[in-house]
Amino acid sequence: MNLVVIGSGPGGYVAALKAAQLGAAVTVVEREEVGGTCLNWGCIPTKALIASAEALAQARRLADFGINVNGSLAADLPAIMERKNKIVATQIKGIRALFKSWNISLLSGHASLLDSKTVEVSRSEGTQELLRADRVIIATGSRPAELPMFPFDGAKILSSNDAVNLSELPASFIIIGAGVIGCEFAFILRELGADVTIVEAMPRAVLSEDAEIAEILEKELKKRKIKLITSAKVTGVATTESSVEVVLDGDRKLAAEKVLVSVGRSYNTEHLGLESLGIARGPRGEILVNEKMETSVSGIYAVGDVIGGMLLAHVASKEGIVAAKNACGISAAIDYRVVPAGIFTAPEIGSVGLREHQAQKQGIPYTVGRFPMRGLGKAHAMGEIAGLFKIIAHAETDHILGVHIIGPHASDLIHEGALALQAGITAQALAAMIHAHPTLSEGIMEAAEDIRGTAIHLPKKN
Amino acid sequence: MNPEDLKYHKEHAWVRVSGKKATMGITDYAQEALGDIVYIDLPESDIHVEAGTEMSEIESTKTSSPVIAPVSGTIVSVNEKLADNPEIINDDPYGKGWIAVIEIDDPAELDELMDASDYEQHIEENK
Ligand SMILES: Cc1cc2nc3c(=O)[nH]c(=O)nc-3n(C[C@H](O)[C@H](O)[C@H](O)COP(=O)(O)OP(=O)(O)OC[C@H]3O[C@@H](n4cnc5c(N)ncnc54)[C@H](O)[C@@H]3O)c2cc1C
Repeated sequence: MNLVVIGSGPGGYVAALKAAQLGAAVTVVEREEVGGTCLNWGCIPTKALIASAEALAQARRLADFGINVNGSLAADLPAIMERKNKIVATQIKGIRALFKSWNISLLSGHASLLDSKTVEVSRSEGTQELLRADRVIIATGSRPAELPMFPFDGAKILSSNDAVNLSELPASFIIIGAGVIGCEFAFILRELGADVTIVEAMPRAVLSEDAEIAEILEKELKKRKIKLITSAKVTGVATTESSVEVVLDGDRKLAAEKVLVSVGRSYNTEHLGLESLGIARGPRGEILVNEKMETSVSGIYAVGDVIGGMLLAHVASKEGIVAAKNACGISAAIDYRVVPAGIFTAPEIGSVGLREHQAQKQGIPYTVGRFPMRGLGKAHAMGEIAGLFKIIAHAETDHILGVHIIGPHASDLIHEGALALQAGITAQALAAMIHAHPTLSEGIMEAAEDIRGTAIHLPKKN
Repeated sequence: MNPEDLKYHKEHAWVRVSGKKATMGITDYAQEALGDIVYIDLPESDIHVEAGTEMSEIESTKTSSPVIAPVSGTIVSVNEKLADNPEIINDDPYGKGWIAVIEIDDPAELDELMDASDYEQHIEENK
């Protein structure tokens, strides 16, 4: 079976590897670099930058740990970028080596579908190549969404792609959009020394998260003197020689050296031949698929950001695996019930399952258990006491419906909650499990116990 | 222990009145109960606060707790030094650890506050 995968982000490269494991002859077409958005512009580069910002934050408070340093601290942006680039390069090599070991051929160029069995690849040299395919997986991903009012210019109006490759740190930044990407960059840029203002049209930051968690994040933004302006619509942007002026709601004006626009993603669906094949698309241009990840055209699958939904690397990868299996004749279906997600702010956020407002909206009877990060000895030892564990359980069955954590290592801690959801256990069962001391994971046990109001390290409730 | 020249709100805030202006902060009892203060969410100037309601929030290593406005009025200045050094409140709650100055709406409201000895009794009763 000949399989062609278009795009090598976490959706495409994982699909390719899975299909090769299942015995398919796989060709991956990529017009840029393997690893896609995730590896080249997204998850990995931002987390490398965050690691540098965190190291700086830690160094700034060494005296709190009883460590005296002489001399000054300085963020060396070119060195930080070089470190990031090296990390990315290592991962790219890793994917290429995996491809090689599974005999996957990687073809560089832009792919488009001529018919359901033929993929045309336009190489950079200007030549075309035709690939015969029994099955095709489209994993073309997404790119930063541009606001028509102010297109990216790479100099003053930046996309996240520009921001991960800054060559010098501007004194001030306005970030448009307080979603995941906007907030992660806010902490990075602030820690490195820029003045940061975030402007958000909605009433709060990270709208997809539980409101209580978002509120704590907003307080942490404030602690770091990152200004957050919510419920404000950007109505104009004007660039001058040395700065950018942003107009809010027609009258209020803000100025900064640079603006980062992080207002969402656009799907990479152009010049793919989707229209001529009649592949069905949704209202926002996303490719429509069924639970097998198959499009409206039989034998053509689509996975990852390009199908919309949750724009997360691990979701793309899971979809890639499901598509690869189906393409190889093994029936598989996607299951979105348990999708943990991390937001790499300071502190981090980890979440899985229902948010409290969702439980309310769905009319599910629920109870909430909470435990503050500052209630944990380990958090004090680490000097990171801001944060909260929040567990939502069904009021009648006690089954865990959602787990939300804000605090150090929340993106790792959340997986205990994800497992609890996946296994369908009760809050009481989670609370009954022995948790090692002193760890941050104890917060999960305490929050689960708090559902009954009997957390050991919380005072009696009135 | 609690200065005689101040007036006290039962939610552990104090005011020092001078004309229409009241400087306010939290009491020694409150800072002691909170423990090491690590952050105060300072109120903004020009906002109006209502006596008996939350005007700010303090975080200590133990807990986080609202600061209750002792009088109604408009905030005219805020102790910005607390932004970077909130522990000043622990060190000097009645002096350098003041939080805000409120321009009082109605001076008659001050009569509802306690003097130092009543406040001490109030603490005793609620222990
Ligand atoms: C700043 C930022 C931070 C992020 N952080 C996280 C995070 O921490 N965790 C997380 O889970 N997610 C994160 N994401 C989201 C994550 O990057 C995406 O969800 C993920 O990359 C989607 O994978 P994909 O394979 O669908 O598409 P992509 O990664 O976008 O890959 C698509 C690939 O297809 C190629 N391509 C497109 N069209 C063609 C064509 N016609 N021919 C050939 N090749 C083509 C592109 O060049 C690209 O390499 C982040 C995103 C950004 C922007």
